[in-house]
Amino acid sequence: MLRMKARSLELSPPAWTILPRNLLALVVILAIAIMMHAWVRPAVGNYYNRVMMDVGINIVLAVSLTIVNGFTGQFSIGHAGFMTLGGYVAAATTYYGSQLLWSKAAFFGGTLSSNTAESVFSAGLLGGGDLLFVAGCVLGGCIAAGAGYVVGLPSLRLRGDYLAIVTLGFGEIIRVLLQASGPQVTRTADIAAKNPFELTTALGGALGFTRVPIYTTQFWTILFGGVTLLVAYRLKQSSMGRALLSIREDEVAAEAMGVKTTRMKVLAFVIAAFFAGMGGGLYAHQLGQINAGELGFMKSFDFVIMVVLGGMGSISGATLAAIVLTVLPELLRGVAEYRMIVYALLLIVMMLVRPQGLFGVREAWELIRPLTRRMFGSGAKA
Amino acid sequence: MTKFLQTLMDGISIGSLYALIALGYTMVYGILRFINFAHSDIFVLGAWLSFSVALCAGWTASGAPLLFPTWLWTVLIVVSVLGPLLYVVERTALPALRSSLGPRVPHALAGGFVVTAAVWAWVLVGLVFLARATTASASFRPLTGVVILVIAMGGCGLAGYLIERLAYKPLRAAPRLNVLITAIGISLFLQNSGQLKFLFGTQPQKMPELMENKPLAVVAGVAINRVDVIGAGTAVALMFALEWLVFHTRLGRAMQAVSYNTRVASLMGIDVDRVISFTFVLGSALAAAAGFLFVMKLPGALRQPADTGWVLLGLKAFVAAVVGGIGNIRGAMLGGLFIGLLEYFGVAYLRPELRDVYVFVLLIIVLLVRPSGLLGKATVEKV
Amino acid sequence: MSALLTVDNIGISFGGLKAVQAFAVEMRAGDLRGLIGPNGAGKTTVFNLLTGVYQPNQGIISLGGRRLNGLAPHQITAAGMSRTFQNIRLFGDLSVLDNVRIACHLRTRSGLSATITRAGGQIGEERAITERAMELLAIFGLGDRVDEQARNLPYGDQRRLEIARALATFPKVLLLDEPAAGMNPQEKRALRELIRDIRRKFELTILLIEHDMGVVMDICERITVLDYGQIIAEGTPAEIQKNPAVIEAYLGTADAPGVRKE
Repeated sequence: MLRMKARSLELSPPAWTILPRNLLALVVILAIAIMMHAWVRPAVGNYYNRVMMDVGINIVLAVSLTIVNGFTGQFSIGHAGFMTLGGYVAAATTYYGSQLLWSKAAFFGGTLSSNTAESVFSAGLLGGGDLLFVAGCVLGGCIAAGAGYVVGLPSLRLRGDYLAIVTLGFGEIIRVLLQASGPQVTRTADIAAKNPFELTTALGGALGFTRVPIYTTQFWTILFGGVTLLVAYRLKQSSMGRALLSIREDEVAAEAMGVKTTRMKVLAFVIAAFFAGMGGGLYAHQLGQINAGELGFMKSFDFVIMVVLGGMGSISGATLAAIVLTVLPELLRGVAEYRMIVYALLLIVMMLVRPQGLFGVREAWELIRPLTRRMFGSGAKA
Repeated sequence: MTKFLQTLMDGISIGSLYALIALGYTMVYGILRFINFAHSDIFVLGAWLSFSVALCAGWTASGAPLLFPTWLWTVLIVVSVLGPLLYVVERTALPALRSSLGPRVPHALAGGFVVTAAVWAWVLVGLVFLARATTASASFRPLTGVVILVIAMGGCGLAGYLIERLAYKPLRAAPRLNVLITAIGISLFLQNSGQLKFLFGTQPQKMPELMENKPLAVVAGVAINRVDVIGAGTAVALMFALEWLVFHTRLGRAMQAVSYNTRVASLMGIDVDRVISFTFVLGSALAAAAGFLFVMKLPGALRQPADTGWVLLGLKAFVAAVVGGIGNIRGAMLGGLFIGLLEYFGVAYLRPELRDVYVFVLLIIVLLVRPSGLLGKATVEKV
Repeated sequence: MSALLTVDNIGISFGGLKAVQAFAVEMRAGDLRGLIGPNGAGKTTVFNLLTGVYQPNQGIISLGGRRLNGLAPHQITAAGMSRTFQNIRLFGDLSVLDNVRIACHLRTRSGLSATITRAGGQIGEERAITERAMELLAIFGLGDRVDEQARNLPYGDQRRLEIARALATFPKVLLLDEPAAGMNPQEKRALRELIRDIRRKFELTILLIEHDMGVVMDICERITVLDYGQIIAEGTPAEIQKNPAVIEAYLGTADAPGVRKE
């Protein structure tokens, strides 16, 4: 073992120093999110505001699914299951949490979580409710990640279509179990009287979990979407991400080159499920309710379609596909009953005309790079 | 005991329907190695066609037959106008397109397929008139059910044929994920076009009773109904017919060969495209039969075409195919019955609200313990 | 100095077929040994046994005193034995550079949190990986094709990229599975030099499967000959060339079995 270390790479580890450069991206995302919320939201009106939030949530889901389906090449079609799970957990956290803390399930957030505030700077940016909301989303993400771990385990034994079917089955099981949960407790006194553990099974059953305070705004969707993109991007640019990609390309060779394929596959599922759970939290707090019945496998297919349409493993492709596929049905609203038919036909035609997706396996900037290199010489190193 | 027998009977009769649908999934998977997600919509189409033809033939509540349902007009117009149009396109525009855009431009229009489809559609229309005639005559009236079944099977067979030629065939060499997404696209297309006003509409309907549903016998307190007996009998008969077709005919052997190794089969002189088309027709027809039998048994369950309940039914049938060993015809039959029994016993003896969980838990267990299914063969990757 | 790689009496059977029986070889640090035999003799199976793709039914494999039986392929690679594949298994959609960088992954330390936050020397580590990969690619004459997709490389380049990739794992023992297959005479000559070169530069111990006798006889110090899963001869190239059993296995006799199982 000693000899192995001597042969390992030279490292320069100033242990756990977070360079300011690493935080810059986060600051930029935060700034964009605040600016969009402060100035673009009031300018565009409610309808466009909603569409933009939808886009943000779908980016979270599509990009996280890219990590499993696109990077690692594992075929998951149960992504909506994680979304549902995270959404319920987040919704229950804010609803019951608000009831317990402030004796009613209402909005206790700051202006960043308000879709109605005239000016963002008219009051406090964040309130106690926001903390609860974010905690709920993170908790939802963690629970979903736990489920992702469980779903990832079969990927060690199963490949391709069989794995796909298992993920689909898991998604359906999550849905049915949530739909079979007990009725939502709505009286504050009852909630206070109950054991908190009992509340975890009081998730509304077939009616769904309702009366969730609305916190999701453009600020949050951009922030979460941005973080998802950042994580996916950094993953792809790193050794770990390349290890995931190698599994997609050739599992046997990856294993032979020292990639812990089993661990990496489960890891991909866990990361993806975490963000899907967070996305579910955003979704629940945008609508003010969440119903597992509406988030079946057809919803999962939506995300798979985004990943494939964007090009397998292309973050920019998945993002663009998420935008296009969210906006497209909105544009088709004018033809009401033909909307989904046109959508379906476009999907079929797209698969016939451009089977590799928008960007293929590459990123948008990788397609541009050869051009810039030709223009400015080959000075830049990869 | 009564409860047990009742559950057993329900399980078998629904299970045989799952088996019929599962056969379509399993045959397509066996040959093309992809999950045909549009298959459950063919089943729905079968159910709605049965209803629609029954109305057209004169089985309305008010007694007056619908002279011509709009879907009939639609089919005729589409086939008679689109057919020649496609033919002209194929002869004129397609070669030019292919030379400029490369080989991906569909070959789907090739051959006499337009003519085949048109003839097929007209025969079906003829059968609709036959159904009206049998309905009108007192002595042949009980036979109407058979005619309707044939129309549903033929109609869905045509739909399966068209879908395969137009959407799947051009993707033969594409990644499987693309084919899967195309299948989802077709599924969405079928669901939502079925909802159109001039087709089936957005309202749930009630299937007229084609035969009086009286109990034939009572065993240990359980009534054995005529519909159940005829339904299960039809399903079993169809499965026997398929079994014979696949294992004892030339065409069946060709199907087996293609499913074993497509490339070698084509080298051996088998017309692979024809076999694949035939597989789709066969699978779709069986799904249509399942749709017909389903609405016969549960007349009130004719939900709107895009209802998610349909997809769930299809999904369970698919689970049946996987549990039995996907690609394996006998496995699909076995799996169907198994799933049906499991579901009904779960509902009767465990918690009914978890009815879908049992099926999916079984699926996961089977896949983990025996990924190739009950009757499937395991495959090993060569390094 | 004792043996670096000891393989003692390993064997495996598939169903009833004994693919490899009683295979044994001992290699000291710096050895370059050839493994030859007719098609279907079980050479690649030996590689698969050594690298953990298959688990031997019997026998012991040990590397530097550490037992490798029962380890997963990635653990064996980490222990210092790396390989190439007969039917090239590159990561086709990825760039040439990434193919090599992936093989560096097992020597990295950054976990998920470090990757996401880019903290704890992760950036430095990435740079070290890239430099290392560029160096290797330069040695293999692929330095100017780093951005190309691996699948677009000419055949000979793909073979050499596979070796570069295997080297990126810092192996002590390198298993090469028909590195010269599909190469033209000129490329083969260059390959011989390359193998000698990297052996010296990286202090490698090499086990080589090859059909091209020119290459094998030229560079290998010792040769093991396999037929029907069994060792039929062992010795220096000169000895092997004269060995009647080897000649018979290659040329066959009048009553030699005509069909061999793959």
